[in-house]
Amino acid sequence: MNAHYGDRQVLHNVNFSVAEGEIMVVMGGSGSGKSTLLKHLLGLQKPSSGSISLLNQNIAELGRKQMMALRRSMGVAFQGGALLSSMSVGDNVKLPLRENTELDENTIDIMARLKLELMNLAGFEDLMPAELSGGMLKRAGLARAVIMDPKILFFDEPSAGLDPVTSVELDELILQLRAALNMTMVIVTHELESAFKIADRITVLFDGEVAAMGTVEEIKNSSDVRIQNLINRKPRDKVVDADAYLQRLTAGGT
Amino acid sequence: MEGLINLPASLGRYSIDIVSSIGRAAVFLGLTLSRLFHWPFPLAEFIKQLNFVGVRTLPVLLVAGLFTGMVVALQFYDTLVRFGSVDLLGSAVALSLIRELGPVMAALMVIARVGSASCAEIGIMRNEQQFDALECMAIDVYRYLMLPRLLAAIVALPMLTAIFDLVGIGGGYVVGVLIHGESAGAYINGLIDTVTINDVLMGVIKSLVFGLIIMWIALVNGFNVHLNQSLSGAEGVSHATTTAVVLSAIVMLSFDFIIGSLML
Amino acid sequence: MEISRTTFKQYERLHLSGEIDLHNSSVLRETLLGLLGGGEHVLVDFTQLAYIDSSGIAALVESFNVAKKQSLEFKILGATGSPLQVLELTRLVSVFPMVENEHNL
Repeated sequence: MNAHYGDRQVLHNVNFSVAEGEIMVVMGGSGSGKSTLLKHLLGLQKPSSGSISLLNQNIAELGRKQMMALRRSMGVAFQGGALLSSMSVGDNVKLPLRENTELDENTIDIMARLKLELMNLAGFEDLMPAELSGGMLKRAGLARAVIMDPKILFFDEPSAGLDPVTSVELDELILQLRAALNMTMVIVTHELESAFKIADRITVLFDGEVAAMGTVEEIKNSSDVRIQNLINRKPRDKVVDADAYLQRLTAGGT
Repeated sequence: MEGLINLPASLGRYSIDIVSSIGRAAVFLGLTLSRLFHWPFPLAEFIKQLNFVGVRTLPVLLVAGLFTGMVVALQFYDTLVRFGSVDLLGSAVALSLIRELGPVMAALMVIARVGSASCAEIGIMRNEQQFDALECMAIDVYRYLMLPRLLAAIVALPMLTAIFDLVGIGGGYVVGVLIHGESAGAYINGLIDTVTINDVLMGVIKSLVFGLIIMWIALVNGFNVHLNQSLSGAEGVSHATTTAVVLSAIVMLSFDFIIGSLML
Repeated sequence: MEISRTTFKQYERLHLSGEIDLHNSSVLRETLLGLLGGGEHVLVDFTQLAYIDSSGIAALVESFNVAKKQSLEFKILGATGSPLQVLELTRLVSVFPMVENEHNL
């Protein structure tokens, strides 16, 4: 698929596939197009060319009702949680159930508490989102994302803003969720350690193109210089053109 | 020279921006209203929003209503005394309020207290990806959030206007009868005799239309805050909110004139 | 999903088979609450159960709580595979009385 923002092409010839039960990590620096790719996968934006299929259904061909049905098998955990500020954490987590199912309120209540327990947020149901820390918001957002035991889970930057210990616990949780529920996952992240620990396969994006897609081993042994730099955390080479540099430093002065 | 060449281009770009904004706003309204008969109707949210509009606006409204009525009475009294027609004070105050000042002032209070708050709330929700989240949860944003807010404004404004009118007429009474000692009977009878259904209807139609305009503009500006490429985050929301307030005031006043012309 | 009932010693034994998810968990819930309301001890047989989701688990939790309050017995028999993993993930293996073999009852 290709994607544009106005005249600017943001994604070039991206071919991307994830197998059932697989954890696919998407990596790339800022501006690499990974957020754009995620938005397209979620059906929030339409590609300028190409198609997107989820659970063997081409989402461009789905009517509104069918898309809503498909969305019930998907869970999305947004950066920052994206909880609704006007309702409590508990009501937020219960929202998909209340709107999309006919389950009894007792059942919904227990389901919400089960998921919050899983995220170490037990007892926080009655707090408002404004009263939670960044890490807690993320976990609440994840609880909401998995409340209906979705077949596919999308996770936008799980580790951003988390302390190392919580980050490791979150990685463990992700692996457990996959094992217990056979959830397919697409995780966008820039954290190398997490990526290498949880990924079955990794896709690396540079400037809107797929630089590599393969297993953790394949990526580690990649011959692409940019990928090696990414892994070894080498800053980009800065070649010094002495004259140009001097120009920039003194422009506007004597 | 460069400036001259750029001028048509900038004008063109500006016009295109305006037209696309209007287009987006129209689509937004269409989508929201089309949810009117979708099931389930968001009753709880509608009542919550109705309460929000009322609670936020009422205190200011009561004070403004009282003073507006008193000021109108004060001004008319002076003129009417010169013509010897002080008996007309009641009708003068009532007609001014019911036909004109009630709807407009109530609308301005709502713009200041509710329009700004709603625009900011929606803008922040947009920035925090809450609309993306709702869409991904298969929840129809137009039905769940926008329709209740729009309907609440449309339903609340006539009620608020009526309260403003009553308080204002009372304020006029205070000035005319209590302060200047004119006949209470004349004030009230004059009022009852001259105010017609058409006047009340004009007030109601104006407030219904104003309610729609105010909330529509507030919601659209907040909802599309992310489309402004040059401003992001808090700055974007702040800009959207000021735009919403100013724009709804101007559009509201234009329609005040239009409706007045059509009905008088 | 299929639910069939037999009797085993003092228990009403519910044989669960297939998959329990959002669409049919309310049936499980009503069946369990009905049995407990009738004062029966309950044995939930997981041996033929392939999959159970959170709504099914929630039904079990609610029923177990009711059983506890009425001093009725409530046990889970023969949980394996995916259902067992879900019970472990939710740490409910330490809450529900779990039995591997009916001969241990």
